[in-house]
Amino acid sequence: MTLKNFILALLLCGGALDAAAQSPELLYQQANGLYQAGKIAEARDLYESIASNGYESGDLLYNLGNAHYRLGDLGRAILNFERARRIMPADDDLRHNLQLANLRVVDRIEPTPRLFLWDWWDGIKGAFSAQSALWFSFALFVLLASALMTMMLIRAYVVRKSALIAGVVTALLLAFSLVLTFQKIADDGRRDEAVVVASITTIKNSPDGHSTDAFVLHAGVKVRVIDSVNDWIQIRLADGKVGWMERGAAETI
Amino acid sequence: MNFRAAILAMVITGTVVAQEPTFEAGVDRNPAGVGEQLTLSFTLANAGVGGGKNLRLPDLSRFHILAGPNQSSSMQFINGAVASSITYSYVLQPKEVGKVTIGSASIEAGGKKLESQPVNLEIVRASSAPKQQAQTPEEVAGKLADKILLKVLLDRTRVLQGEQINVTFKIYTLVSIVDFTLKKAPNYTGFWVEDLDAPKGQTVEVVDGKRYRTGVIKKVALFPTQSGTLEISPMELVTVVQVQSPRSLDPFDAFFRDPFGRNVNYEVRSDPVRIKVDPLPGDAPADFKGAVGQFAMSTSIDKKATRTNEPVGIKVAVSGTGNIKLLEAPAVEFPLDFEQYSPKVSDNISRSGDRIAGSKTFEFLVLPRYPGLKVIKPITFSYFDLGKREYVRLRSPQLEVNVEQGAATPGPLIAGTTREDVRLLSEDIRFIKIGMPSFTRAGDRLWTSAAFLGLLFLPVVALLGTFAYVRRQRANAQDEVGYRNRRAIGVAQKGLKQAEYLLKEKGAKGTPSTAQRTRFYSEVSRALWKYLGDKLNIPQAEFSVERAIAVLTGRSIDNGLLRALKLLLETCDMARFAPTSMDIGAMQKTYDEAKRIIVELERTLK
Repeated sequence: MTLKNFILALLLCGGALDAAAQSPELLYQQANGLYQAGKIAEARDLYESIASNGYESGDLLYNLGNAHYRLGDLGRAILNFERARRIMPADDDLRHNLQLANLRVVDRIEPTPRLFLWDWWDGIKGAFSAQSALWFSFALFVLLASALMTMMLIRAYVVRKSALIAGVVTALLLAFSLVLTFQKIADDGRRDEAVVVASITTIKNSPDGHSTDAFVLHAGVKVRVIDSVNDWIQIRLADGKVGWMERGAAETI
Repeated sequence: MNFRAAILAMVITGTVVAQEPTFEAGVDRNPAGVGEQLTLSFTLANAGVGGGKNLRLPDLSRFHILAGPNQSSSMQFINGAVASSITYSYVLQPKEVGKVTIGSASIEAGGKKLESQPVNLEIVRASSAPKQQAQTPEEVAGKLADKILLKVLLDRTRVLQGEQINVTFKIYTLVSIVDFTLKKAPNYTGFWVEDLDAPKGQTVEVVDGKRYRTGVIKKVALFPTQSGTLEISPMELVTVVQVQSPRSLDPFDAFFRDPFGRNVNYEVRSDPVRIKVDPLPGDAPADFKGAVGQFAMSTSIDKKATRTNEPVGIKVAVSGTGNIKLLEAPAVEFPLDFEQYSPKVSDNISRSGDRIAGSKTFEFLVLPRYPGLKVIKPITFSYFDLGKREYVRLRSPQLEVNVEQGAATPGPLIAGTTREDVRLLSEDIRFIKIGMPSFTRAGDRLWTSAAFLGLLFLPVVALLGTFAYVRRQRANAQDEVGYRNRRAIGVAQKGLKQAEYLLKEKGAKGTPSTAQRTRFYSEVSRALWKYLGDKLNIPQAEFSVERAIAVLTGRSIDNGLLRALKLLLETCDMARFAPTSMDIGAMQKTYDEAKRIIVELERTLK
């Protein structure tokens, strides 16, 4: 283990300079080695550099979140876990870590109650990534097309009837799946969700430093950005509270 | 006496209606005894805003001046006009018997020099003087002014925040004090106060050459809770002083009078004192909560092994000298699945010495909710050491308790978290993912990739292809049978129409030629063949009368109709190949028969 780390460290000394030029796979392995060796801060920087080079992966964001968590940066840990969730929402480890990190957030925000159907809908949405929903819809589409083709090609009554039933069921599923898919694609593109990364920030009543304080938020709280003016963003919490926050205190998921 | 003079002044000013300034002199008794006290007062009335100045006294060499000048002023509104007066009074003691004239005094007021009238006074021997009057508190106060002092003594005047400072209130007296009561306690804003035991008994101290008897009224230890300049407000004390009355020869008087003198109330007050409090150095550790002094800490756990939901006590005791009472409970990091209650705090403070010392004990009670070996991280306690002038951090050993599964009795939990949350909190995050992921370029999305969109067209293309294929197949298959079937009657009628035309044509010219007859019969025959071929789905090439009859027999056609059809077809064949004996009547008959058979077949073969 230590020998491996030593070699990794050697590799890094040479490799840190032209990190940008290296393949993300190699950098990723190096970062994992550093993390396992307990050099969390170095691992975090390396993960960050992979991400900033324009590479995206659920695992990468998950590991980056873990590194932030280990270093006590709860805000950025949750930020990266949330980003990873968009790519791999059904990942069990990710769910566990995000849940745990959210529990450590100082602020307890009770979401305003809403119709249970919406919770179901969110639950279904949470089980798919945009990409997997799209593949699912595509598979249903292929199925539907197959059923139609079967109906056209085979004249036997039993086959035609089965194909018709299968086709109707598939069409209904496809309609649902398409709604889900477009919702997920829209969610993927949205930039109005943010996570507080400042360890503590005061929310003001208006976009102005001299304004009266509305309330205080701590790192890790997920907020919805509803407006922005210069260096201020207007945010809404899950419990409906609204206020203005300095732009730098939160990062978009 | 001033009081009396003031009344006098008021009486005088009341009678003087004019606003001219007046200056008058008076004594409070006449005659007066030798050794007795009398008050000489000069009253300046209506002097205006400026008041009087340059008071010049007459010769008072035949008196002892005991006190004065005491100045008092009064102001009145009479009929809308302001009447003011200032009285200057002197307490005098005549030296010898005889008539004395106190000369004029002068004063400047309102730009004029005013002179009082002389006062004639008769001084008699004291024995013949009127009964001695009681001394007023003002008189006593005047006499006692330097004889009783209340001092505030500090053991230091500049301290650090949280550092002890001892304050002693001490009374100094030259007279005998019978008793005292606290009128107003000092105000120690910004301090935590702890009473110290005041030393009992009296001592003698020499101040300014006078031998005072002293006693400690109160002794307190103060601990500043804020920095800056803090003030202790004065203490006010009402003392009961025993004063010796002047002797009187009156036997009744002597009899009733207290032989030890009489008691007079006298108020003393201390001076306010200021204390400069410096803030503590800024490099305080995170767990520093204001403890200043010198402390030691001990920790203990009441059991090493327990069951779930059975309480465990952890005791943290801090002892030493300093601001013990201000100590806050050190933060104890219990395992997260421990349910904890606010600690029980008890302190034991010794006030006997000059330094506040003692101990403070924090008893934490926790309920372990889940089994396992639970570790309580070392408890730390930081204080500012006054001796070393630096922060000191005490650290306890790590405490451990082994929790076994006890009877399952779900208890209340920490507010705002569920039971699952608590279990989760005691876990750690899952490990990072080691497997090699597939990296995509940021912003690359499946739904924008050309490959996927191409793939999306595959089923569409397959569907359209299938549709086109099936359509063509159906057109081929169905038109062959059904289309011909439907078309059969039309084709037959077309053929018959041709035959009918030929029939009518030859009718016009009389007898038809052989060629015309042959064409007529072949036309009828063709129409029948075509009809049967289409209707029975027999390809033209394979058609024969025998085959058509065989198929028709299979379709359960009436025997008579079949025979008629057979006969007709044979007639046509005969007429075509042996065109001899066919006249116009036979042609008409053949035409009608063909028409009838087609209609009949069409009905049956529907």
